[in-house]
Amino acid sequence: MKKSRSSIVAAVIGLFVVQAGLGLALQPIWAKNYMPKQKGVAAGLNPDQLLAALAGFREMVAGILWVRADSFFENGNYDAILPIIRIVTLLDPHQLDVYATGMWHIGYNFTDLQQRSDRRYLPSAIALGSEGAKNNPDTYEMFFETGWIWHHKIEDGYDRAVKWWDEANTKKDILPARRNLLASAYIRNGQIEKAMDYYAGLLAEANKRVADKTDTDPMSSSMRDTIERNLDNHMIRMSQRGWMAKTKGHGPIPYDTEPPFDVGFSVKVTVTDAKKLEFEGTWNVLPVGTRIRVILRDADYPHAIAGGVDWDGDAESVNLDPPTNTTYMQDQLYVRNRRFTKKIDMSADPTMYPFNKDKYLLEFYYSPRNAPPHIQDKFSWDGQGLTDKNFLNTEIRPGVRVIYTSFEISRDEILRRGEWADKAPVRMTSNFKKQGLNAIGSDVINSESLRSSTSAPKPAPTGPPPGMVPPSRPSGPVAPGSN
Amino acid sequence: MCVTFSTTVHLRAPNSLPLVFGLSQRDDRYNHAAIPLGGLRLGAAISIKNLTKTYTLRSGVKSNAVDGIDLEVQEGEIFGFLGPNGAGKTTTIKMLLNIIEPTSGEATIFGHELDDMTVHKIISYLPEKPYYYEHMTGMEILRFYASLFSIKDEEKCEGLLKKVNLYNDREKPIAQYSKGMQQRIGLAQSLLNDPKLLFLDEPTGGLDPIAHKEIRDLILQFRDEGKTVFISSHELSDVERICDRVAIIKKGKIAAQGKLEDLLQGGRIEVTASDVSESVASTFRSSLSDGIVSWNGGRLIVDVPDSVDQNSIIDTIRSSGGLIQSIIPRRKRLEDLFVETVSDDRPVQNVGGAS
Amino acid sequence: MNAIVSIARTTFAEAIRRKVLFIIFLIGVTFLAVAPGLNVLSARQERTVLVGFTLGVIQLTSALIAIVLTVYLIPNEIERRTIYTILCKPVRRWQFFVGKYLGAVTALGVMMAAMTVLLIIVFALQQGTRDPAQLAPLAKGPLMFFFQMSLLAAVAMCLSAMVQPILNFFLTGGIYLVGTLFGTIFETFQENRGVHPVTKAISQLVMSILPNFGKFNVQNPLINPNQQIGNESMYYIGTALYGVVYIIILLLIGILVFERKEV
Repeated sequence: MKKSRSSIVAAVIGLFVVQAGLGLALQPIWAKNYMPKQKGVAAGLNPDQLLAALAGFREMVAGILWVRADSFFENGNYDAILPIIRIVTLLDPHQLDVYATGMWHIGYNFTDLQQRSDRRYLPSAIALGSEGAKNNPDTYEMFFETGWIWHHKIEDGYDRAVKWWDEANTKKDILPARRNLLASAYIRNGQIEKAMDYYAGLLAEANKRVADKTDTDPMSSSMRDTIERNLDNHMIRMSQRGWMAKTKGHGPIPYDTEPPFDVGFSVKVTVTDAKKLEFEGTWNVLPVGTRIRVILRDADYPHAIAGGVDWDGDAESVNLDPPTNTTYMQDQLYVRNRRFTKKIDMSADPTMYPFNKDKYLLEFYYSPRNAPPHIQDKFSWDGQGLTDKNFLNTEIRPGVRVIYTSFEISRDEILRRGEWADKAPVRMTSNFKKQGLNAIGSDVINSESLRSSTSAPKPAPTGPPPGMVPPSRPSGPVAPGSN
Repeated sequence: MCVTFSTTVHLRAPNSLPLVFGLSQRDDRYNHAAIPLGGLRLGAAISIKNLTKTYTLRSGVKSNAVDGIDLEVQEGEIFGFLGPNGAGKTTTIKMLLNIIEPTSGEATIFGHELDDMTVHKIISYLPEKPYYYEHMTGMEILRFYASLFSIKDEEKCEGLLKKVNLYNDREKPIAQYSKGMQQRIGLAQSLLNDPKLLFLDEPTGGLDPIAHKEIRDLILQFRDEGKTVFISSHELSDVERICDRVAIIKKGKIAAQGKLEDLLQGGRIEVTASDVSESVASTFRSSLSDGIVSWNGGRLIVDVPDSVDQNSIIDTIRSSGGLIQSIIPRRKRLEDLFVETVSDDRPVQNVGGAS
Repeated sequence: MNAIVSIARTTFAEAIRRKVLFIIFLIGVTFLAVAPGLNVLSARQERTVLVGFTLGVIQLTSALIAIVLTVYLIPNEIERRTIYTILCKPVRRWQFFVGKYLGAVTALGVMMAAMTVLLIIVFALQQGTRDPAQLAPLAKGPLMFFFQMSLLAAVAMCLSAMVQPILNFFLTGGIYLVGTLFGTIFETFQENRGVHPVTKAISQLVMSILPNFGKFNVQNPLINPNQQIGNESMYYIGTALYGVVYIIILLLIGILVFERKEV
């Protein structure tokens, strides 16, 4: 008995060595292929969640949670969804749906009562997108989605949109229709020629597909037509906006973009009540489609740049705690009849606009890169056709001529406290005049070839040339300088 | 795991016949039939010397569950192993079955060391109130236990079911069996290997009188077949009816051991008197160490072994003015012996017996 | 050998009749059956959700069955005193121990196989495919789970020779959890340069001692099949071998203790 016991003990020891060897030999293969990929994100997870996450039931728990999140979506209980999105993506880092929806949700759905979205969440949206892309490197989706946030939501830093979509393009599963968007990102990033080359490449591929008899996709030929039309359009614009001439060294030729047109920007901001601002101002472009970005933010808002924020700056980790200590408001001023007015009420959303800093910055920004084509036809992509004798800025966005101005404003002024309790603080540009439209003289865009968008108004019988008359004006056309 | 055990087994007990057991189970059976039955002493089926089992309690105190017992069970007898609960009966049996290991001492079964697997081929054990796998039918239970001996003998299983009168219920699951039926299926499984030695732990516990009788009859039948039966029980009337020899264990020690007829030798006398004062009763209580004295309102009953001088008892009662009402002699029962043995601290009584 | 087979067979027959296990099994089966309903909510990734969820159900159910089944295996025998009727027969304790384990593992295997078949049926119906090339790989997860659960059962079996069932339940569950997590923790330690070499060495040691349940969790690539894995079958064989060696170790330790156990 004793003898057999000691031989069992010896066998146990021997086998233990065998299993340890086997186990360690298998470990790298496991780590490479089967290990739950958690790197870098585990920091945001509670220990119990981490346990559940790692214990092997991750995918199941993730599925159940996501089902639960859906009911919150229906009720609009967005705050409840945030942690679920976070947990689900940590539990199952391959849930593309959740990454994509979560990113869209974080980026777009938190809004104030006037439907301005809370951009303080943008770094988290980007971080979630990057994480999703990193965890799913073999599929294009998260690369595409993250690029979309830059292109469509941030409307700035288009190089990032190019970067993400460029990478999405390398994935085998990208849908052909989505590939076209990269050209648009190139254009907005100022890479005009690259966009043309890219369109040309797409067109060649599409032609090949159409010629291929084995290709059964009924969409192939219509897709080819679309690409062709896009390329066509783009080349016409390159020509009309003077690009071709300029790059061939022909110098300034009076194409549509010459001579640069002064938009005559002026603005007056009145703090009508606590956290309520009223804007009025001028912009001498009659065709509809001008949106001037207005920002009111903490003077020391993290990673702020003129006319925006470098949203990548804080986008290292997904942070779902609402950024309650900072204030960042961004909106658009829509120009109609060469003027704009807007009332912004931030008083109803104290979590979004806490105003607990002392100094604030009020910024106005316009970039031709975001302009609709019919306006861009005059300004061109980089603003060669755009100027403003007061506010033209060629520094804050290298290579682009933008319109920019800013005012400092204090907390007391915004909250109408202290000396401002009875007195409305006002900020205005020196060129702003009461009845600002009086200031507008003959310097209104008045170019025959300025193409209008499809909604372009019909020419009026008298008055300004085609395209200069707003459609909704009841009292008849207003000629430049007539009032 | 081979069925046959080819070694020739010489019995070690000094007074045994030079018996030679055969090479296979079938030969065993044949030999059994050839063994002369009745009063003839055969070899020692169980031989226990100074067997001790010590447990260390949580407090660190050591406690002897079985404390140096010596016991010899002869082949072919029904041996009753008696004792109150917790006296060490089951511990002793478990040691004999090699289920637990003795702390010290030795024991052999038919001359084999306890951890010798051959022992397990020739013995059987029926635990107290066992539960069998309830999903199985009677027949399946027997098949299962038979397979543990590598026996594949349907007829044998059916024969055993008939023997314990369960043949008609053989396809019923055990869950539907009554307690008596379960005990009988237990007996049937314990007979599968034609054991030479059966350990029965409280075989009649919790059974109704008819079931009692059935089990008793079966046990007697085993003896007639030449099997040795070791019964642990506190059902004294059953033991008294069927056992040849008994041992009484008390606090881990053998308090009495011997042939039943020897242990129960000598009857008892019961003297009943009236108009007796309580002081007389007290006198008897202090003078009659073996007696059972009861007094209630002048009525006195003195119950003593017949070895005690009855005349002096009668004289004492009379001289104190008491009135003798009856003097009844009766045979000593096992219950008397049991009560006598376990209820006080008298020294070990060892009458007759083999040792 | 006869004794082991007989005990295993009886243990199996008893196990598949145990009500507790059957209820756990039924709950698992119910979850599997309703799994397709979840996909309404995630139309784009119905396959991912379905496979992830159903494999999770199988794993959770089998882990519960494995533990609940094994921790009571020996204690029940002692309580019902059937162990005495068996050990007084010519059956060695190790044979009893091994027989009990094999019976339990067989029962576990049958229940897991049933769930796997259901998983494949659900998947085939929901995805509208009968292509064996698509359906067969799904069984790979449960196959490795089976080795995982057999190892888990061996842990419980080994511990049941030493501790009470309730304690065993939590101990085994704890070892399962740690054994599942540790692989990831180990990797984090190895890759992180800031970790002290002693910590690394300790984690290496723990890694080589602990039963590594995580190795058997191969569901990630099944749920997201676009991942390419080289030499997959070698990994499967290696892992299965690892499991079997570890099971033998645990059973031997269990036997060493059980041989001396006073029952």
